[in-house]
Amino acid sequence: MFRSIYLKSLRDYRVPILGWGLGLGALMAVIFAAVPTVFATPAAKAAVVSIGASYAWIAEPIKIDTPGGYATWKYGITILVVVIWPLLAGTGMLRGEEDRGSMDVLLSLPRGRVRVALEKLAAMWTALLAMGLVIGLLTFAGAAKVSSDLSLGASVAFGLNLALICAVFLSIALLVSQFTQERRSASGVTAGILLVAIVVDMVHRVVPNTVWLSQLSPVYYYNLSKPLVPGYGANLGAMLFLLALSGLFSAAGVWLFARRDVGGVSLHLPERSSQPARALPRADWSLRSVYTRSLGMIATSTLWWTLAIAGLAAWFVIIAKQTEAQLKSLLQGSAALGDFLKLGGSDSATNASILSAFFIFMPVLLMAFAVTQANRWSADEEDGLLEIVLSTPQPRLRLLLGRFAAIGTATIFISVLTLIATTVASIATGLSLDYGNLAAASLSIIPFGLLVAAIGYLFAGWLRAAVDTGLLSFLLVIWVFISFIGPGLSLPDATQKLSPFYYYGSPLLHGVQVADLLVIVAVGAVALAVASARFARKDISA
Amino acid sequence: MSSIIQVENLTKRYGGKRGIDQVSFEVAEGEVFGFLGPNGAGKTTTIRLLMALLHADSGSARIAGLDCWDKTIEIKRLIGYVPGEPSLDRNLTGGQILEYFANLRGGVDRAYLKKLIERMDLDTSRKFRQYSTGNKRKVVLIQAFMHRPRVLILDEPTSGLDPLNQQEFDSMVKEARDEGRTVFLSSHVLSEVEKTCTRVGIIREGRLVKLGGIHELMDIKRYEITIAFAKPVPADAFAKLEGVVEVEPLSNGSAVRIAIQGAADAVIKEAAQYPVVSLTSYEPSLEDIFLRYYERDDTAPIPSGPAGHLTMNGEEAARV
Repeated sequence: MFRSIYLKSLRDYRVPILGWGLGLGALMAVIFAAVPTVFATPAAKAAVVSIGASYAWIAEPIKIDTPGGYATWKYGITILVVVIWPLLAGTGMLRGEEDRGSMDVLLSLPRGRVRVALEKLAAMWTALLAMGLVIGLLTFAGAAKVSSDLSLGASVAFGLNLALICAVFLSIALLVSQFTQERRSASGVTAGILLVAIVVDMVHRVVPNTVWLSQLSPVYYYNLSKPLVPGYGANLGAMLFLLALSGLFSAAGVWLFARRDVGGVSLHLPERSSQPARALPRADWSLRSVYTRSLGMIATSTLWWTLAIAGLAAWFVIIAKQTEAQLKSLLQGSAALGDFLKLGGSDSATNASILSAFFIFMPVLLMAFAVTQANRWSADEEDGLLEIVLSTPQPRLRLLLGRFAAIGTATIFISVLTLIATTVASIATGLSLDYGNLAAASLSIIPFGLLVAAIGYLFAGWLRAAVDTGLLSFLLVIWVFISFIGPGLSLPDATQKLSPFYYYGSPLLHGVQVADLLVIVAVGAVALAVASARFARKDISA
Repeated sequence: MSSIIQVENLTKRYGGKRGIDQVSFEVAEGEVFGFLGPNGAGKTTTIRLLMALLHADSGSARIAGLDCWDKTIEIKRLIGYVPGEPSLDRNLTGGQILEYFANLRGGVDRAYLKKLIERMDLDTSRKFRQYSTGNKRKVVLIQAFMHRPRVLILDEPTSGLDPLNQQEFDSMVKEARDEGRTVFLSSHVLSEVEKTCTRVGIIREGRLVKLGGIHELMDIKRYEITIAFAKPVPADAFAKLEGVVEVEPLSNGSAVRIAIQGAADAVIKEAAQYPVVSLTSYEPSLEDIFLRYYERDDTAPIPSGPAGHLTMNGEEAARV
């Protein structure tokens, strides 16, 4: 396995291939295993069809009364998890090697840069294909148990389609990493692009006549293929388009890599001074303490996330106003829209109820932001960045809480800016809203972000950064699944209470439910307390 | 002089893997102590235990009479630290990094800090990621020295420094020693230890195998003398002499290479009985001594107990 860069890279990916492939394949097998129970009676089957229609905005329900259709629909949202590993691998492929300094050694070999990059890329694509194959085979095995007439070819095509969307985001990550100094920045930006792509794909399923918008998202083309759905099959054109897209982004990434400095970026910002200096920066606010430094570290990513979250919220306000009349008429004949609105806590298509349904995405997005920040904490320890800080008279607890407080400040900043953006948008569009409730809806997302950060810190006490992030992301998807699809599946109340979104409620309509928020605060506080106790005692990674 | 660092039976394991085992030593205030060992011997583990970055499985480590784990904050006010593999925020400039650590230490003498920057010839305007390995090391060294700590704990501090800056580092260590500060310096570069340290400890496979003054280590040296004679001489005549470890006849018996442990008096007197053409003596470097300790598999660890009364291998006395 050490005979070439290709084989060595493939060796590096063996655990993710198996782990990700087996995990995601097993998830599909479990979904199939549940089919006999879910379709136990004609009434149950009809209920599933109804639920599928209700949650079409998450995943399009095609022939949901068949095992393949049901599994495809239910698997829909997992795209967020599936793509995480390729995304991280894409930024690590070249930029990660540069961060570690190992690229210098690699490029000292008598091989051209393009060849090094292509060998690594080929290994990555092989890994994705292997992962897709594992998922496909497990899907087939799961389907066979429920006597489905699903063919092996269809199962493999399902895995291949997954591998293709993974390849697209891997290539985007590779391309983005040519413009960032660090791997983590590239991961953050690509994760943002992924979230936007998923949301943009959802739009056409909720808002009429917006297919053109969704067509801008690669996820749209992934969803065009549904090989497990009988009679629907794979969309060869869409799959080829994804392949071409991946090839295009990869080629651009490799082309840029071959032409830039190793350790440098493709677009240089002008340097301020080239004269050697001995001066010390006296008035830099961000260097005063662990807290201010932590704040400085996350300032840029916070600004981007604020732009995305506050911008999306303002856009929701504008959409709610623009489509108000249309949605009201649609509500008369659409059970799906009615169920969507119920997520926001209302049965009627008032301005607030429509916006309330949209607003359930706000805590999800803030929690996604918190996942990236929790990842940074565990990665910093892994990279040895805490070692010298801990050689100063700073208690470990202050270090952890300083970092956490910075995330807290960032979440408050995002929430307040979201409130301002939505207020301005509602005034500008003339959408009448209860501003007290709008403030409640915007600000009550803060504890949700902090909860995820606290759990991430807790995991970081024992797990490596990649596992921490993967687990946290998986948890987020599970919670989304429980809260957004659970009610339709008549999941027990006790199960639904396991998801934090249950406690968000519908503040835009009913104001803050203090008791519910206190539950989130309490769980977050416990997680942070355990994380602190663990960090105070643990061995710091060398 | 009283001991400022006291390590007693310190043990650390990483799961099933060895870290260090029953390591005991003391470092007197004001001395420069060299901690020697090959890669993976346990030097960094010992240092990270002193810095409370790791939690010991058993034993104790104290600095200035304070337990390294329980009183870590008080201790860190006294310490300047250079880690073996320093990692700092890549996006901050050298100046920002130094300013940040100065703030975390509650402020430092800025005039002294600027002097250090000039001595190390550091361009503080560049980002850490833009620095060469040597310049990164300079930033880390300056942050360790800038608050004039009572104890400096330096893990392979000169790795990556050019000779000029190594020289500057040596003089900074000597100045620290002259000011009565203590330096605990881990290294596998023996010339560095030879130049700066007054005492050394040698660690091997997690166990301390030698502890002594730098000159004492030199005393257990093994000389090599090559003597050329005007005519062939019986090599056996030298083999029986006191201190002679090995005799090798050269040039058909008209020269001998003799390895000697201890005094060379008997060999010189025996050689004087023959017509000597030339005599060449090779001084053992610390490198030789060091290598000798590592090539021996039967090297036993120094038993725990009060420093200064330690015996090694039942034959070589190691004294503090």
